[in-house]
Amino acid sequence: MIGGLFIYNHKGEVLISRVYRDDIGRNAVDAFRVNVIHARQQVRSPVTNIARTSFFHVKRSNIWLAAVTKQNVNAAMVFEFLYKMCDVMTAYFGKISEENIKNNFVLIYELLDEILDFGYPQNSETGALKTFITQQGIKGQTKEEQSQITSQVTGQIGWRREGIKYRRNELFLDVLESVNLLMSPQGQVLSAHVSGRVVMKSYLSGMPECKFGMNDKIVIDKQGKGGASDDAGKSDLGGGSGKQSIAIDDCTFHQCVRLSKFDSERSISFIPPDGEYELMRYRTTKDIILPFRVIPLVREVGRTKLEVKVVIKSNFKPSLLAQKIEVRIPTPLNTSGVQVICMKGKAKYKASENAIVWKIKRMAGMKESQISAEIELLPTNDKKKWARPPISMNFEVPFAPSGLKVRYLKVFESKLNYSDHDVIKWVRYIGRSGIYETRC
Amino acid sequence: MPYLGGEETVRELRRALSNPNVQSDPLRYRNTILKVIRTMSQGVDVSGLFSEMVKACATVDVVQKKLVYVFLCSYATLNPELSLLVINTLRKDCQDPNPMVRSLALRNMTNLRLPSLVEYVEQPLTAGLRDRAACVRRVAVLGWAKLHNLHPSSEIDAAVVNELYSLLRDPDPVVMVNCLRALEEILKEEGGIAINKPITHHLLNRLKECDIWGQSEVLRVLQRYRPQSEDELFDILSLLDSFLVSPHPPVMAATLSLFLSISSNLPVISLAALERVSGPLLAACGSGSREMRFAAVCHIQLLLRSVPGLLGPHYKRFFCGYAEPAYIKERKMQVLVELVNDENVAMILDELKGYCTDVNTDTAQAAISAIGRIGRSYSDRCLQILTGLLGLKQDHITSAVVQTMRDLVWVCPQCSDTVCLALDGCEETLQDIQGRQALLWLLGVYGERISTAPYTLEVLIDRVRSEASLGIKMELLTATMRLFLCRPAETQDMLGRLLHYCIEEETDMCVRDQALLYYRLLHCGIEKTREVLQGRRSDPSLGVLIGRPAKPVSQWARCFNTLEPLSQGAVEAESDSRGSPEHVTYNSKPNADLSDTLSCKLPFEGKRSRINLSACPLPEVDVGGKATKALFGYSILLN
Repeated sequence: MIGGLFIYNHKGEVLISRVYRDDIGRNAVDAFRVNVIHARQQVRSPVTNIARTSFFHVKRSNIWLAAVTKQNVNAAMVFEFLYKMCDVMTAYFGKISEENIKNNFVLIYELLDEILDFGYPQNSETGALKTFITQQGIKGQTKEEQSQITSQVTGQIGWRREGIKYRRNELFLDVLESVNLLMSPQGQVLSAHVSGRVVMKSYLSGMPECKFGMNDKIVIDKQGKGGASDDAGKSDLGGGSGKQSIAIDDCTFHQCVRLSKFDSERSISFIPPDGEYELMRYRTTKDIILPFRVIPLVREVGRTKLEVKVVIKSNFKPSLLAQKIEVRIPTPLNTSGVQVICMKGKAKYKASENAIVWKIKRMAGMKESQISAEIELLPTNDKKKWARPPISMNFEVPFAPSGLKVRYLKVFESKLNYSDHDVIKWVRYIGRSGIYETRC
Repeated sequence: MPYLGGEETVRELRRALSNPNVQSDPLRYRNTILKVIRTMSQGVDVSGLFSEMVKACATVDVVQKKLVYVFLCSYATLNPELSLLVINTLRKDCQDPNPMVRSLALRNMTNLRLPSLVEYVEQPLTAGLRDRAACVRRVAVLGWAKLHNLHPSSEIDAAVVNELYSLLRDPDPVVMVNCLRALEEILKEEGGIAINKPITHHLLNRLKECDIWGQSEVLRVLQRYRPQSEDELFDILSLLDSFLVSPHPPVMAATLSLFLSISSNLPVISLAALERVSGPLLAACGSGSREMRFAAVCHIQLLLRSVPGLLGPHYKRFFCGYAEPAYIKERKMQVLVELVNDENVAMILDELKGYCTDVNTDTAQAAISAIGRIGRSYSDRCLQILTGLLGLKQDHITSAVVQTMRDLVWVCPQCSDTVCLALDGCEETLQDIQGRQALLWLLGVYGERISTAPYTLEVLIDRVRSEASLGIKMELLTATMRLFLCRPAETQDMLGRLLHYCIEEETDMCVRDQALLYYRLLHCGIEKTREVLQGRRSDPSLGVLIGRPAKPVSQWARCFNTLEPLSQGAVEAESDSRGSPEHVTYNSKPNADLSDTLSCKLPFEGKRSRINLSACPLPEVDVGGKATKALFGYSILLN
């Protein structure tokens, strides 16, 4: 027998919930959402067992239908029942979609009442049901009604719903930056900028008010020297230099951030959406930590040979590890053969891409590595000199090249009894290469 | 729960509900109630409107009644006193000439779930059992089960039980099935409804009238019946024969289940039934809906335990479709492994080889481990495939292959030469922890045959400082010790460095203790060390795949057609065994409470934590994923 039936949308919001038996508690709805719909990995099975409660689910387009039971029931029958349920609903109002379900919820409640009693399937034939069902299916709806419903659902805050509850309040902050560079052969920085994003995954109960603080130069200067250095020292989790504050050129925020407060006090306060979202985007151009230096040396030996030597130096704390390093050294179009020797990693000449690709899996800070290659050229009539495209590089480093540090993220929820200290907060910095080129 | 804007909505709705103008206009009144229900289903607490809604209950409009009942059933438990007011209206409705109204009132009366109302409900329920309309009787019968559930300890009147028994003869099949269900619940303490010969025969004769839900229910209950004579048994079986090939998988499975239970001491009959059912089961495996396919494949796995040869010729039915979800593919591969024989082995291996490069890494790894299991019987062919896969230099494939080879060597020691040759160069591709652990284990145990073993270990030892995984460090220690025993000259220096690092610098107590243990062991002399570290290298007794004795049907008949076959644990979880053979699997305590599961969302849910035999309990495992998060580059933010 079936203890309850839930219908969710793709975000895991409950559209319909009907509990038939007392052994299914109110938290069952959330358990399925958290463990299956919001699970990080793929769905592992159509039957999920959570704390001795079994959840059977089927998916129709992006709607989840879940039947819950505590008994060791006949699995095939429950699935057959869910299909039947889908058939009946389709017969009444067409496609099973979020919109249709929202429009027909009274009908669905009525159907659920007739089809199941105390968790036992009773009457599942559309024809027979017609005599018991008073509602007509609504197959479409007008725009006007739609907007009316949304405003009802959302109230004032469109990005977060009421009544979210987590046993453990937890949040993850990812500072994701991509660092762009153009450098001259002599090692002068021609242009460099970092574009970054702060992505937050919040699993917080209720309607928490959050305040986010970073080492923004304007704020730090305002607060005065003493406090600032203390703060920066404490949160020095990654990064190479001991820079204490950074100048942000421009930034944009998620709609939840109160812009008026940012404009007047430069403080970032907001009520976060549930789950993952992008809190802010920013750009900096000053004092960027360049994780890698590329030193190229290209020598033309006669008309049919090139000697290339490239040294890369990592410029961050030795305890940190850069990953997925890839250096792309362009070769002339008339290359006939390449011999490569590298100290670390693997290098290969890819004729189709006209480049030597040198890959290193990991590299610690304050190290250097070099590659030398001999490129043999076919003699050509073409008088035009080879344009020498820049050497580009890809990598991933565990710190923010802009120097941005998260100083705090305070959570205030006055209505529920958890405080800032109960929230588990995680921060991670990832710096990736954008267009990172050195001319040669 | 407070809702922004909710209070305003509730106030507005209350005003509308108590407005005499609205009340006098049926259409407006109904629409207002509709609005209440809509607000309710959006999660707003509208329990404040309870008394207004109770008033709205008194109406002749069936639609309005239904809407109000939906509301009342959701909030009755919060307002037990006010709910008393409803009871009167409901009782009056039970006398209504319209049977629909009567059944509606009766159902909602029992759905209020208020123990205080029981005394008011009993009388209408008794009357409902004798109602003229079948739909009222259906509701009334289940109503008694609901009442019993409210007070499981109190006895239900014997007269009622008798009445329910007599209603088994009701002309309406749903009433009959509901009676079965109600009696099963009410008489749970006594072991459910008494199944005797007349009841059994009556139920069997009416089986055809029931819908598929009723049929499954009746067939399930009849499993308790034991025919008194062989003639009777055969009569029942021939009666049920048509249900065995029913197009509805639940009915078919329930019938088979009944067959198996009543003929449990006649193996020939069970076997014949299994053969007869293989056709419909295979059809269910190809059914359009993936969940049903999944359920069918899982049940087939059960069947194969007893009759491994049953579906041999149909092995092609278990080849995976490209778009099938990973969970079906995994089960199908497990079935394929069971179906291997001399004729089809080439085809099956060829097919499995195709899955090894699946985009889904789980599927790929499952395919590789399936090949490994077939390798227990056909080691040469499988090793050839596995070695070929190493050439792809894909890290997840290499990892799965190395793990599979390790597991294979443990049961088939004769494969070790090929495996040792194949391992050369894998260490560059391996990325994940399990794969590297497997490689380390192989290097330790077969170190004397792998010429490059010391160099591979040396690289790892040099990097041990930046190694984050505890498992790798432990495995590295053991492997280096083992290698030291067979190749002391090459290994002594690095072993010294490793032990020094682990004892002096390592902060993890498990690693440090393990290193100290080895260090002291070395002090006891080389012979002692050898005794401790070089145990068995293989365990052929774990057996080959083919020619395993078939298990008796009775072993699994009980859980056939239930939820059990679908849960991972039910199937031999061999493909799951990813730790070193010597390492035990440690099942962390299952969460007993739903709310607990809400809070501990490990990144690797479902995978078991593995613990080294010689290690003390890992602190990481208990913390609930903190260590794993650290592994992903997160560090905790201090306030």
